[in-house]
Amino acid sequence: MKREHNHRESSTGEGGSSSMTTVIKEEAAGVDELLVVLGYKVRSSDMADVAHKLEQLEMVLGDGISNLSHETVHYNPSDLSGWVESMLSDLDPTRNQEKPDSEYDLRAIPGSAVYPREEHVTRRNKRTRIESELSSTRSVVVLDSQETGVRLVHALLACAEAVQQNNLKLADALVKHVGLLASSQAGAMRKVATYFAEGLARRIYRIYPRDDVALSSFSDILQIHFYESCPYLKFAHFTANQAILEAFAMAEKVHVIDLGLNHGLQWPALIQALALRPNGPPDFRLTGIGSSLTDIQEVGWKLGQLASTIGVNFEFKSIALTHLSDLKPEMLDIRPGSESVAVNSVFELHRLLAHPGSIDKFLSTIKSIRPNIMTVVEQEANHNGANFLDRFTESLHYYSSLFDSLEGPPSQDRVMSELFLGRQILNLVACEGEDRVERHETLNHWRNRFGSGGFNPVNIGSNAYKQASMLLALYAGADGYNVEENEGCLLLGWQTRPLIATSAWRINRVE
Amino acid sequence: MAGSEEVNLIESKTVVPLNTWVLISNFKLAYNLLRRPDGTFNRHLAEFLDRKVPANANPVNGVFSFDVIIDRQTNLLSRVYRPANAGPPPSITDLQNPVDGEIVPVIVFFHGGSFAHSSANSAIYDTLCRRLVGLCGAVVVSVNYRRAPENRYPCAYDDGWAVLNWVNSSSWLKSKKDSKVHIFLAGDSSGGNIVHNVALRAVESGINVLGNILLNPMFGGTERTESEKRLDGKYFVTVRDRDWYWRAFLPEGEDREHPACSPFGTRSKSLEGLSFPKSLVVVAGLDLIQDWQLKYAEGLKKAGQDVKLLYLEQATIGFYLLPNNNHFHTVMDEIAAFVNAECQ
Repeated sequence: MKREHNHRESSTGEGGSSSMTTVIKEEAAGVDELLVVLGYKVRSSDMADVAHKLEQLEMVLGDGISNLSHETVHYNPSDLSGWVESMLSDLDPTRNQEKPDSEYDLRAIPGSAVYPREEHVTRRNKRTRIESELSSTRSVVVLDSQETGVRLVHALLACAEAVQQNNLKLADALVKHVGLLASSQAGAMRKVATYFAEGLARRIYRIYPRDDVALSSFSDILQIHFYESCPYLKFAHFTANQAILEAFAMAEKVHVIDLGLNHGLQWPALIQALALRPNGPPDFRLTGIGSSLTDIQEVGWKLGQLASTIGVNFEFKSIALTHLSDLKPEMLDIRPGSESVAVNSVFELHRLLAHPGSIDKFLSTIKSIRPNIMTVVEQEANHNGANFLDRFTESLHYYSSLFDSLEGPPSQDRVMSELFLGRQILNLVACEGEDRVERHETLNHWRNRFGSGGFNPVNIGSNAYKQASMLLALYAGADGYNVEENEGCLLLGWQTRPLIATSAWRINRVE
Repeated sequence: MAGSEEVNLIESKTVVPLNTWVLISNFKLAYNLLRRPDGTFNRHLAEFLDRKVPANANPVNGVFSFDVIIDRQTNLLSRVYRPANAGPPPSITDLQNPVDGEIVPVIVFFHGGSFAHSSANSAIYDTLCRRLVGLCGAVVVSVNYRRAPENRYPCAYDDGWAVLNWVNSSSWLKSKKDSKVHIFLAGDSSGGNIVHNVALRAVESGINVLGNILLNPMFGGTERTESEKRLDGKYFVTVRDRDWYWRAFLPEGEDREHPACSPFGTRSKSLEGLSFPKSLVVVAGLDLIQDWQLKYAEGLKKAGQDVKLLYLEQATIGFYLLPNNNHFHTVMDEIAAFVNAECQ
């Protein structure tokens, strides 16, 4: 099957999304400039120490690599010092290393690699970033250079530009032209172009898509098909669950707060994993947040059934909210001291960016309930810039990749998935203000937000990576999917283009 | 054993800058974890540990890049690097605009990794390819070839050959002077080996390759050479790990006399009379396989081929990954001269 261009365009690099109020301008934290370009962050002042540790590690390993358990979990290879240190600790648990000070047992279990040492931790707020991270990176994969594909992209971009310039007459003519060109395309490109053209048309004629409760139930159903037809949601659930499991390793009582319960597809696997814990299952409490109380309660009831059949004590609470920003700590019935708490957000947080100030307020709310871990999965894209044309071109490329990954034999799941994604496209292109909720931002933007919100990263390790990779191998066309490790976070991409990112956070204890 | 290990570590530390030592030692250790005694490879951990960077159509230091799917069936990808024009970043639709120049060299690059490690999007190779663009005023096409042990000989060569054909038939890569693509092949370690073998195919098929650049190319043979014995384990590399990689790459049951490993050995075809591209062969004086590399250069010479040997006495493997030593600059200048010799 012929493939068309994937494409994405951006501004002249004049800066990232305007919703980022301040990019943390940090002083270079003294990292070696040459190594940082190669993906390794080592402070120049630490270089000799890191070299020494490498020597020690080599001595200990010698020829017998099997000294290192094949169950050793690796974390954040960019932090060379931490990586080597954790291997040394693995080989010699009595080793005299800096013990992170903590009142929580949990940190001692996965070790300092999962929870970076405090001194590094405070410095993370002054994170050094290389230039290419500060300016936007346009990651492009060209699948095929078809003349008609190129003309279609040209027309779409020209139309978007006309819309931005409020030249509606020209935009109208162009959007019709796009329709004609799109109809002569095949496969992913045609579908993507059609959705983007519809978005443009709605913008031109001011027929904005509505988003009400009835539609949100429909959206939930579409999401199930999206879950079935491709690995993105499964990856999101899987990687978030891995981080949660590690955080809950020794806890007797655990509480998960799911910021977007939908059909609760994430939780059966977690409940099963908890049931299989070597030290036995904890008491498991789930708080599900959504828009329809009855829907949430039904999901909770079903999960309760599952939990009881496998012997896990289960408690459920429903919270119905119109907007996530309406969440108040009192609603959550936190029981401090007795339970470990995980807050889970899969493709929910970006919605908060539609209301100025909401995200910061929300993160404060989360902080106030002192969760042990917060897992976040978001689209890896910059779809929240102030400039319409930028957003348009970025999202055109993003969804082209996404739709391309869905291509295959027709099925109902696939059709519904395309519809599911199509609604995101319409929202992105046609809506503005509080209605535009698909405000995706990149991992680096989220790192900034969490960092300045008083959170620190919790590294996701090689065990999660491996299993996520193996999960992908179950999918036809798996060759095109890639899992990538990026400083403690995992990214799932299609053909070298990252599409979603999983990260995990905890509260900065220094505060 | 511990005593001589210690000596080895100290020795290698005296010949490279500290950050280079840290980088290469890190690779050495990580790679040790990945090779299993039974010949299998911990691919998941390898991919987890490898530091990768995305392509970037926004110019950085005058270079922009994008990825191209060359063959959907084998998922063969290449990363293309181009010099940026002054002005706004290229639009998506401009990425494959015709190259602008009377003579524009196109370097097909094969990353190293002993046939098993690294990718076109590995940070170390993305960085190196970017340098080559500026250095030579070239377009660089970095091949993401299939790796051992999952994909043995000749997969890497097949992939190289596929990309060479793609490059050769891409009209946007044609130089204005003669409407032809001016192709060079370049690679380090296993990439250097691939350069030789892809060039062989080019010669047999009439595709004109203007020059081969081999940086510390990976060759071997059954005999243990003097340099292998002398330098075993001293500068990051051991004979044992070399053996492992050959076992992983060569067809099962084959030994190191196989022509892919030993191009001037007992089983190889003569190059005499062939219009083989001119070669630049760079050998690091502290690389334990240098005797094989020298034999390669010698073999080319004896077959009447044009070869320039650059022997860097105090260089170790990987010296070209960081611009913090003289060897680096020497080699970069030589490469530029080699490529630009065509552009007179």
